[in-house]
Amino acid sequence: MVFSLAVKEWKLLLKEKGTFFWLLLLPILFIVLFGSVFGNLGETKVSLPYIDLDQSQASRSFLASLEQKGGYALEEKNESQLDDLLSRIRGGKASALLVLPDGFADDLKGGSEAQASVELYEDATSQVVQPLRSTLENIASGMRESNIEDELRAAGLNVGQIDQAMTAPLRIEDKPQNVQSTNSLTQIVPGYTVMFVFFIIISMIRRFLGDKSSGITARLRTTRMSPLSYLLGMWLAYLVVAVIQCAILLTFGHFVYGMPLGDVVAAAAVVLVLAVCGTGIGLAVCMIVRGENQGIGITQLIALGGAVLGGLWFPIEYLPKTMQTISHFIPQYWAQKAFQDIMTREAHLSAVLPSLAALLGFAALGLLVALARFRGFMKSALD
Amino acid sequence: MHVQTAITIESLAKSYAGKPALKAIGFEVREGSCFGLLGPNGAGKSTTMKILCGLLDPDHGRVAVFGKDASSSGEEIRRQVGYVPQSITLYEKLSAADNLKFFGEMYGVRGPVLKERIADVLEQVGLADRAKDAVDSFSGGMKRRVNIAAALLHKPRLLIMDEPTVGIDPQSRNHIFEMIRSLQHEGVTVLYSTHYMEEVEALCDSLAIIDHGEVMAQGELSEVLDRFGTQAVYLELDGQQEPPEIAGFGKPVSKDRGWILETSSPLEAIASWAATCQAQALRVKQLEIVRPSLETVFLSLTGTTLRDV
Repeated sequence: MVFSLAVKEWKLLLKEKGTFFWLLLLPILFIVLFGSVFGNLGETKVSLPYIDLDQSQASRSFLASLEQKGGYALEEKNESQLDDLLSRIRGGKASALLVLPDGFADDLKGGSEAQASVELYEDATSQVVQPLRSTLENIASGMRESNIEDELRAAGLNVGQIDQAMTAPLRIEDKPQNVQSTNSLTQIVPGYTVMFVFFIIISMIRRFLGDKSSGITARLRTTRMSPLSYLLGMWLAYLVVAVIQCAILLTFGHFVYGMPLGDVVAAAAVVLVLAVCGTGIGLAVCMIVRGENQGIGITQLIALGGAVLGGLWFPIEYLPKTMQTISHFIPQYWAQKAFQDIMTREAHLSAVLPSLAALLGFAALGLLVALARFRGFMKSALD
Repeated sequence: MHVQTAITIESLAKSYAGKPALKAIGFEVREGSCFGLLGPNGAGKSTTMKILCGLLDPDHGRVAVFGKDASSSGEEIRRQVGYVPQSITLYEKLSAADNLKFFGEMYGVRGPVLKERIADVLEQVGLADRAKDAVDSFSGGMKRRVNIAAALLHKPRLLIMDEPTVGIDPQSRNHIFEMIRSLQHEGVTVLYSTHYMEEVEALCDSLAIIDHGEVMAQGELSEVLDRFGTQAVYLELDGQQEPPEIAGFGKPVSKDRGWILETSSPLEAIASWAATCQAQALRVKQLEIVRPSLETVFLSLTGTTLRDV
């Protein structure tokens, strides 16, 4: 009976186009959209207009250094455009303008008596300016070090002595702890996969309430089907759908965007437990709500609220400390953590067991609520 | 030959939020008969049927199906009973065959037996050629027929039908009637609830009339007609709002486009009405003696016609 109920449900879901939209098409659209926007963020260059009034070897060398170090796409402008460019900055249409004044090269060569300058016209509210300023200061420091080296050489120090004098007292050593490289896709793909698993609750609500209002639930009680079979059959149907949904979305991320899957067995375990959790909570919601609109509202609260607090849209570290603590009480947090542990930290099954246990805890809670409310649900279906 | 009792109902009572829906009703249904449960909407018919199917628990009373007590043998009774609810309870997106496969499995029928039963019941309801079509492409009458077919897959001994012909075309109605007669011929007991008296007259051999949660009359159809049916006279006038009163008779009751007057002396009543109309120069469209029917039975029992309720 349980399997017959599930088969019937799968047939119905295959006939309903909305199912594919909500469970597969929409999450893929989100992944493609945000993957396109944030996936190549490291390669994106900020455009920076400049006016080189000096047109010297030194000014060109300075600009080349800026382009290389800052990752800026420099756009050359001429002096006649200055007023227009400044007007654009004041109007908030441009962030900054760099002007290298006439005599820049001469001032650089002028030794300690002269100081070369560049003019940075900026929109103080723009987030681009601060990194640009840091890059410029970095280049200026490099020039200062070069001058000091020249002075030391002139003072008669040999290369070894100069190197020793110029070595910074502090050295930063990179010690990467993640074998896999992380990128925004290891945030986006599992994030939207986890988020949309919870949207399956809407399909569950529609079926449970639809069966109830049409009289099908009552009619089924006149057959040999036990009430518990009904609950288990429906749960099994949506559990399998959620597993397939996750598998398709993660496979899409892997093959289309090259997202690492990590230990496939561990990832499969997370998918299964996540599906148990999402549909378990879904059953509870179905048994609690009085109408479809109320159910959709609660589902959106669970799916979207959980997405923000669970760190599905952006890394959890961006949240205030209090919110990060609250996140531990959100199932989405544990699912995302487990996926990211597997994908970026090469974690295996044993390492994600705490996350799986937490997800199973939420699932058990959902199932207990569903069982407690099921009698009332059936009674209201029979009245 | 010993005739078994298919359904026994004794002192059955049920209230909803303190409002009584059934007031200690009782009746018996003979095995192999087609028993009509006749009454207006809200009379208590559906409540009685839901209790019989185990969907509702009664407040008081006893229900037995084929001698088994419903309170203790629910599972056993469910194997022998097919229930056709008043509403169409099918999955519209699925085909007729898929719906029947699902309901058949819920009744515990499987494999080749179920396949054969699906073909049989579709033949029975005249939809064998539409087996693979989605139910949402069917007319209301066709949906009703599939709705009935879903209750026949496990070959029930008792078929409970709650107003199965509401809102359907004459062709589907005739099909359902033929099917019920055929089932009865095969020995299936049918409990048929309706508020259409002509359906009970056409199909049922015994009945109970129920109103306001009480059984007003019950027995064989002919018995009930003889016992409670009085003769009556029907009058229809051209353009007249009120019926002419005739001394020595009761007050006529509005029916269709005219009035009906119950009387044990129909000939005198017809003569008096004819004379009055002639004297008042009223144009008579129809004036006739009405033979005893369930309609007049209901009228004599409740003081109203069923359609007025």
